[in-house]
Amino acid sequence: MAAPFDRVRAYVDQKREGEASFGDVVALAEITADSMQAFFASIDTAIYKELRDIADYITRMRSEIALLQAGELQADRLPRAGEHLGAIVVATEEATNAIMECAEDILAAAGADDATFRSVVNDKVMAIFEACSFQDLTGQRIARVIETLEHIEKRVGRFAAAVNPGGETEAVAEDARERRARELLLNGPQDRGVAIAQDDIDALMAK
Amino acid sequence: MALDHAMPVLIVDDYKTMLRIIRNLLKQIGFEDVDEAADGSEALGKMRDRRYGLVISDWNMEPMTGIELLREVRADEKLNRTPFIMVTAESKTENVIAAKKAGVNNYIVKPFNADTLKAKINAVFGE
Repeated sequence: MAAPFDRVRAYVDQKREGEASFGDVVALAEITADSMQAFFASIDTAIYKELRDIADYITRMRSEIALLQAGELQADRLPRAGEHLGAIVVATEEATNAIMECAEDILAAAGADDATFRSVVNDKVMAIFEACSFQDLTGQRIARVIETLEHIEKRVGRFAAAVNPGGETEAVAEDARERRARELLLNGPQDRGVAIAQDDIDALMAK
Repeated sequence: MALDHAMPVLIVDDYKTMLRIIRNLLKQIGFEDVDEAADGSEALGKMRDRRYGLVISDWNMEPMTGIELLREVRADEKLNRTPFIMVTAESKTENVIAAKKAGVNNYIVKPFNADTLKAKINAVFGE
């Protein structure tokens, strides 16, 4: 950008020592006008390029946002995933209670005569088998929830790549719930291989 | 402290099912006097109203967690000698270390069975 004004600077330096004539002033005005024209031309090109890039970026973002299908996620997939999870909680709770009731009934029948006890055990064991069928349904529901999470992961990943092609990530501020979980060590159940075994816990407690 | 099966036991868990499981297991072991609380703050209130011989608590509860309950209990001179067993799905080494540092008497990781519960209770009472 300095180049257009170099001619002006050179002319002024050349004329600095002597008196300036009208012709010098006109010549300086012409050189300045030429220089300014070149300068503004370069600015126009740079601004145009910037604006063009911004417009392209906005267009690309619009199509990426459309691909996110946020409306569909919010209106359909996420509520359905929530319903599935709610149903899983209810189904497992009902099944557990049913199984426990059977177990309690069997325990309570321990003092009864043999025939009655056998009958109670048979009935309750059958009821336990029936209650265990919850696993099939909850398994299917969990599969649907996983499907939704994968759907979201795919779209968010694509969006993140489009917004930030370099893959640089900004630290996300920790919210109150996350801070509580960190401070109170609310890690939740761990996967096999990561979870510490009861024997190891006993060893730690014994130290 | 000797193990007395007639002593009142307080079990603390935010899952009713878990409370029921632990209550039944305690019954099998021989404890009949069992009270329940759904989180640490409810448990603390009950402990201030009644003297319990043993507290069996989950870790992850709201609003007051098991580790907060344990720290409150150990900081209270009227309650600080109450035996406290943590029964939890929190199975990271840092959890066990934090609980031990806070003064837990024993630590059981879920899922567990009656034998484990019985063994840990016996260990707490030196049986």
